[in-house]
Amino acid sequence: MNLIVGWLYPDLMSTYGDRGNIVVLKKRCEWRGIDVKICSITFDTSEQDIQQCDIVIGGGAQDRQQKLVIEDLRRRKGGILKELFNENKVGLFVCGSPQLLGHYYMTGDGEKLQGLGIFDMVTKHFGKDKPRCIGNLVAEISDRFKVSHLPFRPTIVGFENHGGRTYLGNGVSSFARVIKGFGNNGEDGTEGAMYKHCIATYAHGPFLSKNPHIADWLIYTALSIKYKKTVHLDPLPDDLEWKAHEYACSL
Amino acid sequence: MNVFDRIVIVCSKIFMLFIRVFRLGSGATWPGEFVLRFRPAILKAFASQDGKIILVAGTNGKTTTAKMIDTILRYAGMRVRRNESGANLDNGIVSAFVHDSDWFGNLRSRYSIFEVDEATLPKLLEELSPHMIVLLNLFRDQLDRYGEVDAIAEKWMNALVNMNSRFVCIINGDDPQLAFIGKRLIHHDVRFFGIDDSELFLPSAEHAMDASYCPECGNKLTFGGVYFSHLGKWACGRCGFIHPELSLTAKDVVSPLEGTYNIYNTLAASLTGLALGISREHIAKALSSFSPAFGRMEQITFHRRRVTILLSKNPTGLNESLRTVLRSSKKGPIVFLLNDRIADGRDVSWIWDADMEMVSDVDIPVIVSGDRRCDMAVRLKYAGVSSSRIHVFDLTDEAMKYAISRTTVDDHIWVLPTYTAMLGVRKYLLGRKIL
Repeated sequence: MNLIVGWLYPDLMSTYGDRGNIVVLKKRCEWRGIDVKICSITFDTSEQDIQQCDIVIGGGAQDRQQKLVIEDLRRRKGGILKELFNENKVGLFVCGSPQLLGHYYMTGDGEKLQGLGIFDMVTKHFGKDKPRCIGNLVAEISDRFKVSHLPFRPTIVGFENHGGRTYLGNGVSSFARVIKGFGNNGEDGTEGAMYKHCIATYAHGPFLSKNPHIADWLIYTALSIKYKKTVHLDPLPDDLEWKAHEYACSL
Repeated sequence: MNVFDRIVIVCSKIFMLFIRVFRLGSGATWPGEFVLRFRPAILKAFASQDGKIILVAGTNGKTTTAKMIDTILRYAGMRVRRNESGANLDNGIVSAFVHDSDWFGNLRSRYSIFEVDEATLPKLLEELSPHMIVLLNLFRDQLDRYGEVDAIAEKWMNALVNMNSRFVCIINGDDPQLAFIGKRLIHHDVRFFGIDDSELFLPSAEHAMDASYCPECGNKLTFGGVYFSHLGKWACGRCGFIHPELSLTAKDVVSPLEGTYNIYNTLAASLTGLALGISREHIAKALSSFSPAFGRMEQITFHRRRVTILLSKNPTGLNESLRTVLRSSKKGPIVFLLNDRIADGRDVSWIWDADMEMVSDVDIPVIVSGDRRCDMAVRLKYAGVSSSRIHVFDLTDEAMKYAISRTTVDDHIWVLPTYTAMLGVRKYLLGRKIL
């Protein structure tokens, strides 16, 4: 079996150790004998190359880089990504991604930046007087991320650092419920969003490193959809990962 | 300086004496905090006294460079004050002034060398009107505290451009973002240093590049080669923004410490010395006897082992530490100490931007401790270090004891800690607090 992992703008969307998610997916596939090809999606990647991806991963960008990314995505790639996710392909977007994937992002100055509109949600920045959402994040997830025979925990852990607040519409569900931290807006207890098999979370950087169950769910779902059958994933010795997960839960 | 300033300074000096007599700390920040509380404009009052102020700013290398400049000036017979314990916010700088002043608030030393925090530089530029400013580099570091690299560069640029007094600016020309700042300072004496030695290029670019796009036009920069991170021989193919001419390069100096980053520190300090009229021979002689600052390539003998501490607090710093360890002829276990306290940055995601893969196939024990030891252990596992080679300990003492057990007399042990972990391990190795 093999998987093609699309990595969106590796040098532009890479602020907080975001490449960790690629490294984790790659290793966890390799340890199970699944071939992985990493496809860097940059300004000159062709539509066909993007369409071949089984999993799409996006990281966080600095402001200037984010503008370049949005411009390029809005031009043509955004539509292809939307098609992919509508076909049930798997995605993971971390960090400021809710701003990118929703309908719009209202900046602190009141400027409305158009998003890709893949997710039914909006993000607003309330200006410099409203403090940023910074800190460790723990949230509860549902059983839908459980892969039958693999170890599962009903929590996800990460670190968040965002100024914008995201509000979900009816067309998406939240990814998780906040136990500790801010999540989407610090008000309604939602964390991230879920559209078909695409996850968006405010947890940033190497999210999968301490959440091996989510990493395996992404791999399992991508393989099941690609090969149109229930696949079997071997369990891996994840003592270190779960210890790190538990430590983060205790913070 | 008025009578109120002087009264507060006297009180602060008594406070400082009290802290030291009763061993309540080093007195590097609280006396300054005290003065600022009552006399917020005290920095301007100190700065208006006769003397020259040199500020050293950058993500990595501030403490070492400031100490090198200090060494050069003292060798030339000058009196120097410095915020030597690395207290680089305004309270640390006021404390250094108070410590150096007599009971009437008159400063004793003619030269001030202050390393300054990235976020505090704009404020200090305005209040101190320094005579010289040394800009070393800008890398991603503690994003939860400082924000993004581009944002800091912009704040520096605005603060420097808006300065009324003339100054000398010593800039690392291999850093495109800093070179861009230098280009805008048309009314000032700007001098650039850089390595200019293709033998020191890395075989391929690192992941942790923070300025790979042209600061002038936004186009992707082309690199003829990189020394580390985004420091290298760069040029923009679109707008014609090119690498500045260098006043001092690697062939002109001998670095007293291992590591490419220490060549940069040596260049920055030497060019500062030259700008102050000190001869090359004097500078070289002064630096030949340089001893490292605490925790920065500092060597400590412990149980007859040679322990070297390399402070490693961001991706670029950790990469350079690893390269220094692996290139060194002295082989020994590596001890990683990862903390996430306020001074370290609460977010440890950055270890995924460091190229830990470098240690995957090296036959040395890899030892891990610190508050976030599990995060580091996971990072090493995914870097290809087999789980059986990763030794995780809850306590730093246990980690060091294990390192001792894996070595014999005169062997080397390399310790790569974050800032607070460095203070902790140093206290354990020396049996006392810093300074």
